Amino acid sequence: MESNLIISSTEQMSLMEKLKILSDSAKFDVSCSSSGVGRRGDGTGIGNTSAAGICHSFGADGRCISLLKVLFTNECVYDCKYCINRKSNDVPRASFTPDEICELTIQFYRRNYIEGLFLSSGILNNPSYTMELIYEAVYKLRTLYRFQGYIHVKAIPGAEPEIVQRLGMLADRMSVNLELPTAEGLQKLAPNKHRRNILAPMRQIQQGIIQNKNELVAFRHAPSFVPAGQSTQVIVGATPETDYHIMTVAESLYKKFALKRVYYSAFVNVNEDKELPALPGGPPLLREHRLYQADWLLRFYGFEADELLSESKPNFNILLDPKADWALRHLELFPVEINRADYQMILRVPGIGVKSAQRIVRARRNGRLNFDDLKKIGVTLKRALYFITCNGKMMYPTKLEEDYITRNLISNKEKLPFDRDGMTYRQLSLFDDEQEVIWQQAING
Amino acid sequence: MEEYYLICQDSLEGIFTGIYDAYLKKKPHEQIHIIVGEEDNYRLFAIYEECIPDGKKATSVARTILREFGEESYLSICRALASCEADKGEAIYKAIVTGFGMRDRHQLMGNLRNPAVHRVFELARFTANEAHYHIEFLRFRELENGILYAEIGPKNNVITFIVPHFAGRFPLENFVIYDEIRDIYAMHPTKGDWYLVHGEEGMNQVEHILSEREKKYSELFCQFFHTIAIKERKNYRLQRNMLPLRYREYMTEFQEK
Repeated sequence: MESNLIISSTEQMSLMEKLKILSDSAKFDVSCSSSGVGRRGDGTGIGNTSAAGICHSFGADGRCISLLKVLFTNECVYDCKYCINRKSNDVPRASFTPDEICELTIQFYRRNYIEGLFLSSGILNNPSYTMELIYEAVYKLRTLYRFQGYIHVKAIPGAEPEIVQRLGMLADRMSVNLELPTAEGLQKLAPNKHRRNILAPMRQIQQGIIQNKNELVAFRHAPSFVPAGQSTQVIVGATPETDYHIMTVAESLYKKFALKRVYYSAFVNVNEDKELPALPGGPPLLREHRLYQADWLLRFYGFEADELLSESKPNFNILLDPKADWALRHLELFPVEINRADYQMILRVPGIGVKSAQRIVRARRNGRLNFDDLKKIGVTLKRALYFITCNGKMMYPTKLEEDYITRNLISNKEKLPFDRDGMTYRQLSLFDDEQEVIWQQAING
Repeated sequence: MEEYYLICQDSLEGIFTGIYDAYLKKKPHEQIHIIVGEEDNYRLFAIYEECIPDGKKATSVARTILREFGEESYLSICRALASCEADKGEAIYKAIVTGFGMRDRHQLMGNLRNPAVHRVFELARFTANEAHYHIEFLRFRELENGILYAEIGPKNNVITFIVPHFAGRFPLENFVIYDEIRDIYAMHPTKGDWYLVHGEEGMNQVEHILSEREKKYSELFCQFFHTIAIKERKNYRLQRNMLPLRYREYMTEFQEK
């Protein structure tokens, strides 16, 4: 009964209390970057967007804070076992009004605290009703408050396609969370959600984007539909899927649904439900890290999921990053001659990133590169040296032998972004400078 | 063999004038060096000359760089000029000399094997990174008269690289960004063009009384900032890597209440 009392008092609740409850409820959603669309303001309002995205702070967990990430309401008719806001939990409930959301967004944005708004919601009554509430807030923010910064909204599975379409005309990015990698996992942990209902709006948004691109070709000033593309998130470690399974799902989302990003979220057991695994070692952060590394390999390094893992080797190596692991299984392709190899092959060398590979290809036009030059360019030689030659010579005499190299790579400790207790990513940690940003924009089209 | 040292003012105009004068000498470039600001270690048997900044000479050098080496190189050189490092003038000068010896001059900044070009690249990257950090972490506070006011303390002279970003973002706002290291104010009037003002002159135009609602929104943001972190993933080392400590003294969410 106590929780009912709190629901009825939500009107009188202070903005501070609401913000606390509704940001706390939103914190596990990781798909919240502000990238994908560069747009100038039209001079009549406030805001613009930057294609590379902008982080504005980093929280105690080291994660980027880019958007005002909140739920519209944390009341929910669903009972997903992993979610803190599930119906059966007795937690304080709150709802914003559209004006409160607008004021918070604008006032935070003016002070350069945030890059825009990320608005999700628990399910109030039903999916379409909930999306109407989100629409009302976003519509007000775009029109009355003339906000031209970044807006990311959730498309709620099961809502009417018409409202998804209407909201997509106001948002920069939309996302539908896949939640769990398989339909079985979903059925077990989120009995109110169905795989089919999740994929339907994803498909609708994808088609909407394609159709809108055609309209934009015909009419340059046609309003744009979800210009920053769509993303999704998958919870890792709540159900027994293998890394191979997750990577295959991610790859097909990129290929078949043209997603901009798939986010992986190490499962945090907030409900201690008996259906959920106990995680005495904390959230599976190393596993999440390996999945992100592999995700970058798919998107920027030209790898396929099947090259990295297989049914017989379904999980990533704990000790080696996926690229080094791949290289060690393909020693027949190495060493690579830096002054001759093509860009794609240079990209596959451990210790050489996208930035370094581009610089190598460019710098070698002015003469042959040696190991000193590579160091200046930013190649991590202590990892790369086993796999490359400069002008026919290796850096040191070394054996091209799996065990030998593995031992050496492991004894050079891998830099992980967490000690034992936590980790995460900056949105563009691989893309620190201009060159990269421009290149990434080109990729994102 | 005579060595010439041209002492230039620390500004775009000053250093470009130095480069113009260096070419006027018609001596081998290895014998000519550019020094920015004061030299504290004079050498024997070297000739020291003071360069008086000259707008015409500087414009001519700027045009030449843009025409011969393209926009990418020009932007990199401008960023290197804003650097706090003392060897920037020499690096830029020698990079330009290198560029004139290249077949494809627009590829100047790709020629990272060359030490001078590499140095310009490094300096430019330092400035660009610091400018980007300020775009991320700068914080405005609202003053009583509605003006948004921010203070920064950058190592490099980044203010001209960050104001256009905020001018594009807040066309209707009156805002002021103050570089307290160099004592420069950037002023942006609503719907107008921004401009720079030095020292006292800017000081008189800015009051420092915060608006009534400023406290409310800064407290709301601090609440949000603390709530949004996942305690099971606490990682202060990563936070420090991403958000260096030196920026925090200017940031609302890290200020002592």
